[in-house]
Amino acid sequence: MFGLRASVMKSAIIVPTMFSQQTRNTFILRRRWPPPLHKKGGKVPKMKGRHFVYDLVEDTSVKKKPDIRIVLNQFVEGVGTTGDVLTLHLNKAYENFILPGLAVYANPENLEKYKTYEKRPLEENTHSSPFVKRTMDCLHRLVLRVTMSNSEPWTLQPWHLKASFRKSGFVVPESAIEMPPVQIKGPDPNLLDKEFYVTVTINKKEKVHVRCRIYHWAAGQEQLPFEESYWKKPKQPLIPEQAEVLQKFPYQNE
Amino acid sequence: MAGTIFRLLLTNTTSAHKNITTIRSINTGTVFYAARKGTRAKARAKKIQVEVTKVGFIPHNQRGRKVVKTVVNKHFSDEHKAIPIDDVYPMKYYKWVVYTAEDAVKAHQETHHPTMFNAPDAFIFAKIEFNMTGIKQTRFMDSFTRLSLLPHPFPREEERTILAFCKGAELIKELQDAGATVAGGTDIIKKIQDGQIKLFEYDYVVAHPNILTDLVPIRGLMKKRFPNVRSGTLDPNLKELVKKFAGGIQYKVIKDEAQPSFGSVEVPVGRLNMEPKQVAENIGKLLKDVQAVRPKRDGLFVTRCLLVSPPSTEQLMIDPFVFVDRTLSKEVQDDSDDEDEPVAATA
Repeated sequence: MFGLRASVMKSAIIVPTMFSQQTRNTFILRRRWPPPLHKKGGKVPKMKGRHFVYDLVEDTSVKKKPDIRIVLNQFVEGVGTTGDVLTLHLNKAYENFILPGLAVYANPENLEKYKTYEKRPLEENTHSSPFVKRTMDCLHRLVLRVTMSNSEPWTLQPWHLKASFRKSGFVVPESAIEMPPVQIKGPDPNLLDKEFYVTVTINKKEKVHVRCRIYHWAAGQEQLPFEESYWKKPKQPLIPEQAEVLQKFPYQNE
Repeated sequence: MAGTIFRLLLTNTTSAHKNITTIRSINTGTVFYAARKGTRAKARAKKIQVEVTKVGFIPHNQRGRKVVKTVVNKHFSDEHKAIPIDDVYPMKYYKWVVYTAEDAVKAHQETHHPTMFNAPDAFIFAKIEFNMTGIKQTRFMDSFTRLSLLPHPFPREEERTILAFCKGAELIKELQDAGATVAGGTDIIKKIQDGQIKLFEYDYVVAHPNILTDLVPIRGLMKKRFPNVRSGTLDPNLKELVKKFAGGIQYKVIKDEAQPSFGSVEVPVGRLNMEPKQVAENIGKLLKDVQAVRPKRDGLFVTRCLLVSPPSTEQLMIDPFVFVDRTLSKEVQDDSDDEDEPVAATA
């Protein structure tokens, strides 16, 4: 088989340019009967009916288009920073990133232009990382339950809070936790309806306040009664200086 | 043959009585024509044994309905999640933190500190998840029970009674020191036969090969408990055996009903007042012990290992492949070309 492939174009009607639109509807065909050969520069023999019989090889309009790579040219919250390469679906990449001007196509020139370096200076007015805002929102909504013993005497330490964060599903190193100005000691029944806040520093830059409540743990019979949706009910501030900030926290309404 | 008899009769009768044509047929038994359509297919279908799958209890008003069950894949995978880049982050958006065994124990010790949960001697359980696929993709391993002795023992509430048979006074004394509740020779056999010692009170019965002949008379009484090499209860090194059965940890890997390729077990591997290094060694020994029943195929057997310590609900993931290999080595796999099904070992 010669394996000749021919493209079928739209019908060759001459139309004014304002009506011609681009349509990408290439069909890849193969001739069933080989056409007659001729010498170079020689007379081209007349093609017969059988030479215009084609078999369909591929319809390019039904083939799935591959995802494209784009390079961010600025800091985008929740996605990435300058120079990050994303692989996205065609339409999503165009509508959400290229059209608003947040990214460009990932050709070698653009990749070189927006190349990232390990220690590049932080852009002004942006977070230290694209996911810091999400972390800050999560921590802002959180009401941390700090489970302390009902029987043994204790003083609240950063590692207590670190362990409580880990139990609640947050990784917070001890160095990032800033304790309240007043030392909290217990076990103390006065702490039952009180709350305070601690400050968490993300990437040594952004600060966010996290509400905390002490829960006195006693195994077995002496356990406190079950409080439904305790995080939806506001409580009194433990430390008077913190009252102002604690009032501004959001509470979910039932 | 029948045809010929048939024809002979016909010819004989017609030759004798020319006007009357009487045909007498003989029932010979063997059939020279094909069976009626569907007879042989029916017999073949009857021979095929249909596998009866156990269906649980269905309330009377839901019987007869076609139940559409979507099976959730219990095999863990967080490949699609991102790797954390910040120092403070919510865990649900990122890949699970993988601790070393020592760090995980220390983390549990933090939450169980006297100032917090106030349970410094709580158990640490190792939750191990398995891929129970056998050599063939469609065949799965069954639930199995194993007993393994951990290098660093820790106090557990349960007590085990062991009956040990052997000859020789010194050996008897050794075994009693090792942890057997009752150790002895022919005198115990007599007591069993009299009825003074009741076999069902004892969890395990172990014996030395030299006393095996004396045990044969009470084989009927012992039934399942009779010491044999296969179950590991018959061994010349009785002292080791007694120690293993007395202090070892028994665990049952249960395969999931809905998803037979998933199996899991929760084994106590230590207490929080032990050294983290000792607990790590216990976990290592446990994982190596489980490899003995591994099916001889490619792919993971142990998929995940978590450390859990009640009353905390935290599950800290550790890397089990620090202690064991991820996949079987080539030589071990090639050894078993003839094996059809993986055999679950019981100890």
